[in-house]
Order: sequence, then structure tokens, then C-alpha cells
Amino acid sequence: MSAEKQIELVGINKHYGSFHALKDINLTIPKGQFVALVGPSGCGKSTLLRSLAGLESISGGTMKIGGEVMNDVPPRKRDVAMVFQSYALYPHMTVEQNLTYSLRLKRVSKEEMKRATEEVAKTIGLSQLLHRYPRELSGGQRQRVAMGRAIIRHPKAFLFDEPLSNLDAALRVHMRKEIRALHDRLGATSVYVTHDQIEAMTMADHVVVMRDGVIEQQGSPLELYDRPATKFVAGFIGSPAMNFLPATIGPDGRSVHLDADGLGNLFIKGVQDPGRKVIVGLRPEHLEVGPISTAAITLPIGVVESTGSVTYLTGSGDVDLTVVVTGRSDIRPGAHVGLSIAPERVHVFDAETGQAL
Amino acid sequence: MTEKWTNRILLLVALALAALYLFPLYWMYVTSLKTGSEIFATPPGMVPTNPQWGVFAYVWELRGMGRFLWNSAIIASGTMALTAILGTGCAYVLARYRNIWIDVALFLVLMLQVLPASLMITPLFVGFSQFGLLNHPQLAVILAVTAKVMPFFVVLVRATFMSVPGELEEAALVDGNSRIGAFWFIVLPLARNGILVSAILIFMQAFGEFVYSKSIIQAVELQPASVGLNAFMGPNTTEWNNIMAYATIYVTPILAIFVILQRRIVSGLTSGALK
Amino acid sequence: MNRLLSGLRDGKGFDIVLVTVPLLFLFALSGLPLIYNVVMSFQEVDMFSLGTFARPWVGFNNYIAVFSQPETWPIMRNTLVFVVVSIAGQFAIGFGLALFFTLKFPGASYIRGLFLASWVMPGLVVGAIWNWILAGDFGVLNYILKSLGIISENIFWRSDTAWSLWGVVIANIWNGVAFNMILLAVGLAGIPRDLYEAAALDGATAWQRFWTITLPMMRSTIGAVISLGLIFTLQQFDLFAAITSGGPANSSNVAQYWAWEQSFRQYDFAKGSTISVVMIAVVLVASIIYVRSTRHEVRG
Repeated sequence: MSAEKQIELVGINKHYGSFHALKDINLTIPKGQFVALVGPSGCGKSTLLRSLAGLESISGGTMKIGGEVMNDVPPRKRDVAMVFQSYALYPHMTVEQNLTYSLRLKRVSKEEMKRATEEVAKTIGLSQLLHRYPRELSGGQRQRVAMGRAIIRHPKAFLFDEPLSNLDAALRVHMRKEIRALHDRLGATSVYVTHDQIEAMTMADHVVVMRDGVIEQQGSPLELYDRPATKFVAGFIGSPAMNFLPATIGPDGRSVHLDADGLGNLFIKGVQDPGRKVIVGLRPEHLEVGPISTAAITLPIGVVESTGSVTYLTGSGDVDLTVVVTGRSDIRPGAHVGLSIAPERVHVFDAETGQAL
Repeated sequence: MTEKWTNRILLLVALALAALYLFPLYWMYVTSLKTGSEIFATPPGMVPTNPQWGVFAYVWELRGMGRFLWNSAIIASGTMALTAILGTGCAYVLARYRNIWIDVALFLVLMLQVLPASLMITPLFVGFSQFGLLNHPQLAVILAVTAKVMPFFVVLVRATFMSVPGELEEAALVDGNSRIGAFWFIVLPLARNGILVSAILIFMQAFGEFVYSKSIIQAVELQPASVGLNAFMGPNTTEWNNIMAYATIYVTPILAIFVILQRRIVSGLTSGALK
Repeated sequence: MNRLLSGLRDGKGFDIVLVTVPLLFLFALSGLPLIYNVVMSFQEVDMFSLGTFARPWVGFNNYIAVFSQPETWPIMRNTLVFVVVSIAGQFAIGFGLALFFTLKFPGASYIRGLFLASWVMPGLVVGAIWNWILAGDFGVLNYILKSLGIISENIFWRSDTAWSLWGVVIANIWNGVAFNMILLAVGLAGIPRDLYEAAALDGATAWQRFWTITLPMMRSTIGAVISLGLIFTLQQFDLFAAITSGGPANSSNVAQYWAWEQSFRQYDFAKGSTISVVMIAVVLVASIIYVRSTRHEVRG
């Protein structure tokens, strides 16, 4: 039923002059879902979000919001709300006036506005600040006013454009949970743009990874973590980033031989063509430290960093490998460690195309 | 694709608006090239049928424009030099500090630029005559015009100095410079462009100055081109082609400088004038 | 003495010299004359007493004389009309142009800058050109107006007492449009674009965005532009000298031209300074409004 698909993008294309910013984007977002658009700078995620809002025009494709085609509909008629990176609060209006701006445009009655304001103010926790001006508020408070302004409209969808980038780290962690909680409480449909994959992983039901105007992969967070479709997605999702080593498929097709000196063979899941050039992906948290005699890889350690809860070991020399060990570790720089990894945790990508095998 | 076409249309509209606004300039050039009788044609022609290119040389000779323009140049350069010398240092100090004295000084400076010349000329003239300055009329005009334009210069140049990072001067002082040295060798060269643009604006203003010159300079051989133009336009004058030719010669150097420096002038104005 | 000299090179002495010399200069050539203006307005000044400071004190006689003259109030009314209509015209046209040039198309900023040509031209040249444009039988303005059907007969802008002031008003509006436009354009550019985007998403039409976002946020800029407009319009002299010389019969005379006329045509310096004092008071009030409006800026 199309009413369940709150947002439907089919074959969306956008050109800036000769620059092809969005290439054949297909994306369906059911009602109530929290979708994160992630990717490096310039991948097109903000362009896509702004096109959804109607702030950018699209060159081709069909865009439906709430079941209606919205291709040429101006922003003010789309009934979507956006939380901007800079919050875009009206500086010459109080918090209350900021919240009620959209209602005043629709000439909603005073009692209605008062009721709605009180409700939203309670939801976002700013009831005491209704008469302040934006310049008198902290970053976190401004963020909440921006969200309140969106909430009060009960829009068909919430669009977030990197809303937490301007906050410090601790506040960011706190606001992540608040935004997701708000989304759940309101039963809203949200599209959330960020370059921070941790935000995407922790907040979203569905993650869309973009690169160069194309959707590289989309799926649930854990899907992208466990089964990345391309080397790019594998390297983008997960922190610290996945280790990549060039290798060749062994003669039996069930193992890979790592090309670098001093490294051995690893068993892989499934069968591949022998002799094929591949890139092997190993997550730092999946590498297990063990005795050198039974290990597949022997690694000289260059740097040891401990945060108190985990320890990062980085290889020295030509081999660039990072290992994450929970808890403390006795290993010192200069030591040699043996590493092994379960076959199903070894990711194999074609050396040329980057596709997962 | 439609974006490109909208841009083209907007550009055309902008050019049309600019042409409409600058029509009087065009009219000045066109009128100067018409013959004495053609200017009285009804309807007035938009393009001269028989351009009289010789009118410029003729008017130059007829009204002794060489001397007038020379006098304008003297007054303008004198004003520019005096303003720059006095105003630069003042602007520097007003930019460097922020306390109650500075605020008072800024306020006073701002207030002084509002005084109309036609109202200040009365006491200035009487004062000048009492001190014998009327015997050096061009100097008197330079002093008066400098006092009039200096607040504007200080406001503009102060904005320039405020864009020079304070750390650079502090680094210079730590490296062993005296205040004078830091100012002269580090800060001033960085502010050079802004100061130059402001000085040129002052030159252009003083080049066109009229009230003080007309009131103070009685001797015709010392008068600048603005007074000369005013004298040329007597009450019953009819030789508008010649008058426009005079105006053309007078104004074209200014316009040439303006066209070349237009971007700098606009940015200098906008950064300074709104504070 | 050494400490004074070293203070001159390093530290406070340096700053003090750099500031006080220009301020002393300004005091001598702007401040003192201001005071002198007031003093002279209370004195009886004639050609023979020009050379001395000690002139007979006549109290408020000059003021009474000025305000009981028949031409005083019409001239003051002319000044008011001149100022109000000039500012209104310059502001309206300047704002319209500034809004137009916020549309970002290639070449916009360069073409916009060209408008400032009117601002750098000597006032007398502008006056001369407009004098010719406003000519009764042969001026191009009448020709254009008749071609557009707005008038059927020539208006004698320069010699008709009903129209002479309006001729100068037109020239003055032309003169000031560019400056207004540039300052208003800067004010408009200071409004962040995402405020308009947020307002659009909140449901505002272009007109509503203009009323609820643009105008309120431009308040201090508009205040500054109008105050500056008032100050500059009261300084306008060259156009009057070039077009009508205040005539005919004072129909286009304004206070600032009249003050000069009293001193340099009638040689009645006392009257000239009296009128000057009154007008300077007006100008100073306007400038205080200007300074205050630029201080109270609403920054998001």
C-alpha cells in the first residue's frame, strides 16, 4: 500500500551544470522509519536531503512524499520539517515566537498555539526558556528549539542536516539518544544526514551509504557491518576502520595468501577462484591475539595506546595493521604478537572492483 | 538548463537597469559631440549625426581648462596627502584599542563628518580672513576640505586596520621592534591596499569639491575646475554642447579611476561605512 | 625628558601623538568653527568688523530677524520637502535595486558596482548634466515624459516656481540611489540564507518571508541608511548651485543653500551663521540617531 511508503525516490538525478551530483537514486522509506544518509564530503547526501525538502530542484526522476508526487512542489507546500546544521533560528524572535512561526503563518487560533507551544516545550524540555532570544541560549538549547520548531508542525517527515556537528562530543552523545527517543515517541519518519558513521549506526533503523552521488549500499546497521557489499562501505563503517591487505586466493580456493612479507595464509568462508587477486578486510576488533606458533599473522608492534577500557595495537614497519584488544594488555612496543581470525570474519573483496566476493 | 536561461535574462535586466540609471552620463557624452544647433533639435537625437570631436580641444582652449584642472589637482593631492598623513595614524590607534576614550574619540569623529560645508563655510571664511589665510586661498581650501573628509577617511581606514590580525604586531614587538617599527614595517604594509583605496576616494571627492573653493578663492587663476564649470554656466547660457564637453573633460579621469578600481572601492565602502 | 621620548617610540606616547595631532587639527578646523558659528550668530557682523573678534553683542536679535522674515518659513518647508522626498525616493529605488541584485547571477556584483559612478562624480558635473536634462524646451526629460504620455506640455523645471524644487529633487534622488543601494545590499547579504529556507519550509511565501524575516532583520541597517540619507541630503549644495541657484524667487531655496547665500551673496555673515546654527542642530540630532542605530545590531 503506497500510504505506508512515506517517502519514495525513484531514479532521482541531479546535475549542477555539467557536474552529476545525484545518479539514479532509488530509496523507499516506510512510515516511522529512521533513515541515516552517510558518506564522505561531496557524496551527495546533503543534496539529496535538500532535494527532499524542495530547496534544490531535481533534474530527473520521481519524488513522492506521503504518496503524492512532489517534484515541482515548492518547499512550503511539502509539509516536511528540517533541522539545519546551523539551526537557523530566527534571531529577532523569542523561543516561543520561533516555535509558533509556522502556526502564525497559517493563522491558527491563539488558544491552539498556546496549547501546542506548551506541549512541545514540555517535550523538548524548554518550558522555562520560552521568552529568551536565541542569542541567549547555549548550543544544546538552540538545537532543541530547532527540533521543537519542527515537531510543532507534525510534518510528514523530519529532515536532519548534520544537526549535531556544532556540539561538543559529550553533548553529541546525549543528543543522539534524545533525538532517537523523540522520533520513537512521535512515531515520526526521519531522514538524518551525517558524516559520522557512529551516529548513523547507533540512531538509524536503516543506513544508506553514499559515495559520488550513488548509493553504495543500504540496509540495517548490523547488516552493513557484517556484510559490507564493497570495500568502501567496509572501510567506512566501523571504528577503528577495517584493515585492508592485498592478497591472492590460494590454490585450493579456500584460503588466501597475504602478499606482504612475513604474513601467512588465512582461511576464508566459501570458495573462490584460485589465483585471483583480492583485498582482504580484517576488522581490528576481530583479530585475536594468541601464541605466535599457531598464528596466521605475526605482527611487530609499533604503537600501543590504551584508553583504559580498550587497547589499540598498531603494527610497525610496512604492515599497517591495527588491532583492538578489550581491557589492558601487557604487550609493549617492539614485541611480536601472533594474530588469528575466524574464517567467517575474513572479508574478501575483488582487488579491482572492490566488490565483496 | 533553465537555470542558465534565467541567469541570462537576469543579466539582461541588470544591464538594462544600469543603462537606464547611467543614461545621464551617456547624455553628457552625446551632447558634447553635437553641434551647437543640433542640441536644440526636437525631438532630441540619441546619437549625434555629425560628431564634433574637435569640441574638446576647443573648450580646453576657450576656458583655459589646463589651468583649472591643474588647480583641481593641486587641491585634490594636497587634501589627499594631508588627510592620509593625519588620518592613518589616527585610524590605527582607534582600531587598536577599545576603551571609553576611544569610544568618545570615535563618536566625535563620526559627528564631525555630518557638518555641511555650506554651513561651516561662514565661520571658516571669517576665521581664515582674520588669520590672513585668505592670502593663500588654495592652502585654505586644502585645510578646510581635509577637515571635512578626514572623518570619512578615518572610518574607512580604521576598518582596514581592524582586519589586520593583532597577533602579527605582537609578534613583531616580541621580535624586537619598537612600536614605531612594528607599525611602520609590519602593520602599515598590510593595510596598504585599504589605505590606498581610501586615499583615492578622498582624492576623487576633493577633485570635485565646490563650496569651499567657490567661497574662498576669488582669483580666477587659482580656481579649480568645479568653479570654472559653474562660471561657464551663466544664467542665460545656451552653449550646452560646450558645457557638456567641459564636464566630460573634467569628469572622465575620475570615471576612469573608478571603473578600474570599482571592486576595491565597493568593498572598502561596504566594510567601513556600516560601522 | 628621556622617558617622554622613549614613551614616544614605545608605548602610550606613540599612540597619544598619533591620535591627538589629527584630533587637534579637526578641533581647530571643525570644532572651533562650530563654536564660532554660534558666537557669530549672537553678534552683529559687517564688512568692517570681519577682521576682529570683538563685535557688538546683539543677543537673539539675529534669530528673531531670521524667523520673522517672510521667506524663512517657505524655505524651511522647502528643506523639509526636499529631505523627505529625496530620502523616500532614494530609499525605495535603492531597496528595490538591492533586492534585485541579491539574485545571484554571474556579473551581478560587477554591474551593481557600476551604479556607484554617480557617487564619485563631482556634484557640479551632476548638476550641470541635470540642468541640461531638465531644460524646458530642449531638455530630454520633457521629451521622454511627453513620449510616454505622462505630460502633454513642457514643464519648465528650472524657471517655473511650482516645479523648480522638484527638478532638484529628481536630480538628488538620482544622485543618492547608488549609495543607498549598496548599503542596503550589504544589509541584505548579512541575513543568512538558511533563515529563508527555514521560513519557506515553515510555510512562508516570498512576500511573507520579506515581511517577517527581511525587514525585521534589516531594522538597524534601514535606520542607518535613512539617517545617513538625512545627513547627506542636508549637505547637498552643488546641485542647487548648478540647477536653480535657489530660484526663482526662493521657490527652490533650501536652508543650507540659503545660509551660504546670506554670507556670500548678501554679505550678511551674521544671518548666515544664524541659519547655520539652526541647521547644524538638526543635523546633529540626525547623526545621533545614526550612531545609535548602528550600535544596536541584532546578531543571531
